[in-house]
Amino acid sequence: MKYSLVLISLLCMTAFGAEEKKAMPEVTHIPPVKKAETITVPNNTTINVSYEKPHKAVKSGTCPAKMHTMAEEKPEVLTTDKPLLISVVGQGVAPVNTTSPAQAYALAKRAATADAYRLIAEKVKGVNVDGQDLIKNMMVKRSTVRTSVQAMVRNANIVETTFKDGLCEVEMEITLSHADFAQ
Amino acid sequence: MRSRDGNHSFTRRLCTVIFLFSSLALNAGEYLVSYKYIVKNATLYNESLDISKSMTECEGTPSQTIIFPSPHEDNFKKLVEQHKEEFIEYIHKLGIDIQNQDTTTNNQMNSTTVLTLKTTCFKVDFNDTFVKISHLKQPQN
Repeated sequence: MKYSLVLISLLCMTAFGAEEKKAMPEVTHIPPVKKAETITVPNNTTINVSYEKPHKAVKSGTCPAKMHTMAEEKPEVLTTDKPLLISVVGQGVAPVNTTSPAQAYALAKRAATADAYRLIAEKVKGVNVDGQDLIKNMMVKRSTVRTSVQAMVRNANIVETTFKDGLCEVEMEITLSHADFAQ
Repeated sequence: MRSRDGNHSFTRRLCTVIFLFSSLALNAGEYLVSYKYIVKNATLYNESLDISKSMTECEGTPSQTIIFPSPHEDNFKKLVEQHKEEFIEYIHKLGIDIQNQDTTTNNQMNSTTVLTLKTTCFKVDFNDTFVKISHLKQPQN
């Protein structure tokens, strides 16, 4: 019985020893693999970094300076102490089938007012421009340009209205101050 | 000062003040107004001015006021019809939304401009000789 116990303990010892031996080569094998991985991954990253770094350097080095110079060059359009006056002239025509000259004038004035508002919106807010050309067999079939503007205009004043030869012209002004845009 | 026959003089004065105020503002109401017109190729295409009495109380403070001389008028729609040009100019100044689209296809241009006043509440006070219209400015959140 005692010999058998000793034998079992010996067998266990040898088994553990064998496992350790098996484990050891794995451990020794893994580092090279890991090393290989660590070699390849850093290589990639370094390449990336080497490509990125100059960009970053350019961005951090030159762009702000350029922007700074641009900001220095551009004068402020709307200053705090001086309001800005924008003046536009809108045009409109009366419809063909009007019952009286007065109606024609009123309708033309309405159209001219809308045109003046559009011009103010375009000046203050800007215009979205979209173009599309269709070319078939080396020829331009259709050329389309779309411009659009959307804005809200408040406190615009009609300065002068003229109506001559069916054309109504409305002169409109708006005063922009810094306080109007301050949040 | 309390009189010998009770507080009659004070009551009389109070009633007079209330009567004067009530006579000054004969009738007051809140109205919802929306306005829209479309201009196509520099010609007025469609115009609509909608006025309705507000069914619920409007929130806001009276901000921009316009006064129309109009004796014994208590109909807001009729009043606006009488002073349409001035009223439209007034609502233009309150702030109008502009949407413009120009399309140029093969050098032929089409233009559409839509001007809209979103539904806005106005407080209207009808008095003996004039009507006071105030825009109810909604509180900003």
